[in-house]
Amino acid sequence: MVQTVAWIVSLIFMMVIAGVFAFVFLRSKERRDYEPIKKKWYKARNFYAVTLIIIMLVATIYTLRELPYDQPVYGEGLEPTIVDVESVQFGWKMSETEFKVGEPIEFRVTATDVTHGFGIYDEDMMLLAQTQAMPEYTNEVYITFTEPGTYEILCLEYCGLGHHLMTETIEVTE
Amino acid sequence: MNSMVRKEERKANKHVASYLVIGGIVIGLMMIFGILMLLQQGGVFDVGPALFYQFLTIHGTGMVGAAALAAAAIMYYFLRQYVDLTPEIFVTNLWLFLVGVVMVIIGVFSFEYASAWTFLYPLPALSAGAWGTLGAILYLGGMLVLGTGFVLFYIDAGRAIIKKYGSLGKGLGWDILSGKRPVDKAPPKAVIASTMVIIVNTTALIAGTVVIIMNMIHVVNPAFTFDPLLAKNLTYAFGHIFANAIIYMGVIAVYEILPRYAKRKWGVSKAFLVAWNMSTFFTLLIYTHHLLMDPSMPKWALIMAQILSYSNGLPVLVITAYGALMLVYKSGIKWDLASGLAFLSMLGWTLGVVPAIVDATIVVNHVMHNTKWVPGHFHMYMGLGAVVMLFAFMYFLAKEDSGIKENWLDKFGLTCYTISFLGISGSFLVSGAISTPRRWATHIPDWMGPAVFGGVSGVLALLASTIFIFHFTRYMALRNKMGSESYEKKLA
Repeated sequence: MVQTVAWIVSLIFMMVIAGVFAFVFLRSKERRDYEPIKKKWYKARNFYAVTLIIIMLVATIYTLRELPYDQPVYGEGLEPTIVDVESVQFGWKMSETEFKVGEPIEFRVTATDVTHGFGIYDEDMMLLAQTQAMPEYTNEVYITFTEPGTYEILCLEYCGLGHHLMTETIEVTE
Repeated sequence: MNSMVRKEERKANKHVASYLVIGGIVIGLMMIFGILMLLQQGGVFDVGPALFYQFLTIHGTGMVGAAALAAAAIMYYFLRQYVDLTPEIFVTNLWLFLVGVVMVIIGVFSFEYASAWTFLYPLPALSAGAWGTLGAILYLGGMLVLGTGFVLFYIDAGRAIIKKYGSLGKGLGWDILSGKRPVDKAPPKAVIASTMVIIVNTTALIAGTVVIIMNMIHVVNPAFTFDPLLAKNLTYAFGHIFANAIIYMGVIAVYEILPRYAKRKWGVSKAFLVAWNMSTFFTLLIYTHHLLMDPSMPKWALIMAQILSYSNGLPVLVITAYGALMLVYKSGIKWDLASGLAFLSMLGWTLGVVPAIVDATIVVNHVMHNTKWVPGHFHMYMGLGAVVMLFAFMYFLAKEDSGIKENWLDKFGLTCYTISFLGISGSFLVSGAISTPRRWATHIPDWMGPAVFGGVSGVLALLASTIFIFHFTRYMALRNKMGSESYEKKLA
C-alpha cells in the first residue's frame, strides 16, 4: 500500500532529522573554536548534498516510471469499460456502478457546477485512486479492481456545505 | 545617535510591535477555530456543517493572513537597518489588513460565506444556496483590500532595495555569482531574503488580484465566465506562493538571532546566494504540485512539479538548516526563548519538508492528495516552522527593546508548544496515512481518534501561544510605561 510506504519513509527521514537536531542541541553547551568546525562540516556538506541529490534522483526516476495519467496497455481484444461520471452539488451521476473483478475500467470524470474530487475508496476506507472533477474538463481514472466488494466514491475537493455528503457506492463482484 | 533618529527607531519598533501583537492574537483566535473543527470531526460535539465550513474558511484565511502580517514585520524590522523603507506605507499596510479582516469576518459570519480560503472558481458564485452575492463580495473584496496593502509594502521594499543596490538582481547577488564583485561585497542576508520575497510575493499577489477580481465579476454577473483550470492555476499561484513566502520572511529572524546568541558569524557565501536564487525560482513554480490530480494540465508541467518540488527542499536542507546546525554546534550558545524558538523553527521547517516532498510525488499524491496528509505537512511547516519564527522574534524584540525577563512560564510554553505541535502535525499525518479526507465536516468512527488527539493537542498549543503572546503584551505595556528607556540606553 502506497500510503504505508509514504508514512514509513516520512517517519524514518523525520526521525533522522530530529536526531541530528537533538545531537547538535546536546552538543551546543560546550564551546569550541568555529574555524575547525566550519572546515570539517563544510567538507561533510559536499558529501551530504551529493547523497541527497542522488537519493532524490533515484526516487524521481523510480516514481516517474508509471504515472496514473497514462492509459494502461490492455491485452489484445480487451476493451476497457468506459464509465461516464458527472459530479454535481452534492452527488454523483455514473453511467455504471456494477463491475467485475479483473475488468479494466476507465472513469471519465467531469463536473457540471463547481470543482469536485473523485476518490475511490475500498471496503477498509483506504483511498485507491482519484482525480479532479472540474467543469469544462474531463479527467480519466484507470482502475482494475482485484477484490470483490462494495467500494465508495467520496468527494475529495471542497465543493460547498454538502461536501461530506457527496458519496456513492459501486459494487464489484467475482 | 541623535534624538531624532532615536525617536524614529522607537516609532518603527512600535509599528513592528503592533504588527506582531495583532498577528499573534489573530493566530491565537484562529487556533480556537482549528480546535473546534478537529473536535467536531472527532465527534466530541456537533456545530453543524454550515458553521464548520465557516470555521474552515476563517481558519485558513486568518492563519495565512496573520502569519504573513507578522512575518512582514520581521522583514521590515531587519530590512530597514540596510535600506530606506517608507514608514507610512508600513502603517498603511496594517490599516488595510485590518479593514480586509473586518470585511472577511463580516462576509463569513454575517453572510455565511464558506468557500474555504482557496475560493476555487466558480464556488464563490455557486454555493447551492448557502451564501449570497454580498457574502462573496465582502470576502473576496476583503482579500483584495488585504492584498493591496501587501503589494504596497513589497513595492516599497523593492524600490528601497533597487535604490540602494541597483537592481533586484543585485539584491539576490547576481553580480557576485557572475564574478563581477567579490563575495564579501554581497548584500546582507536580510536584503537577500527580502528580495526573494518581494519577487515571489508580488507575482503571487498579481495572480491573486486577477483571480479575485474575475471571481467577483462572476459573482455579480454569472454570464461572465472564465476557464476553471486557469482560475485554479492563478489561485494556487497566489495562495501557495503567498503562504510559502511567510517562512522566507520569518527566517530573517533566525539569521539574525542565532549568530548573536552563538557569538559566531553566519556569513553570506556563494552557496548561500545560489540557494536563495534557487528558492526564488522554485517557489514561483512549485505551486503546480497542487494540480497533480488535474490530468488536464500538460503532463510535462506535472512531472516538472514533482521534480521542482523535490529540488525546492535542497536550499533549506543543504544551506539554511545545515548552516543553523553548524552555527549552534559546540558554540556555547546561550539558550533562552528567542534562541530556543529560532532553533526549534529550523527543526519544524526541515521536518515539514519531508511529508511535503513525499506528497509531491505523483504516485503518492494519487492516493494522498486532499487527505489530511496535506494539513499534516503544512501544520508542521507553518506551525512548528514559520509561526515559531514569529514567536522567536517576539521574544527577541521584547528583550532588545525593554530588557523584560522571561520566567518559568515561558519555558513551559516552549516545551508545551513543541510537544503539542508535534501532536497536531502527527495526528494529521496519521489521518492522511489512513486516507481521511480533508475538509470534511463529519468523520466515520475510524477517522475520529486522530482528530480528537489533534484537537486536544491544539488546546495545549493554544495555551502555549497564549503564554508567548502574553509575554509580548507585557513587553508592550512596559514599553509604553517606560517609553522604551532601556532601548534608548542601548542606543546611546
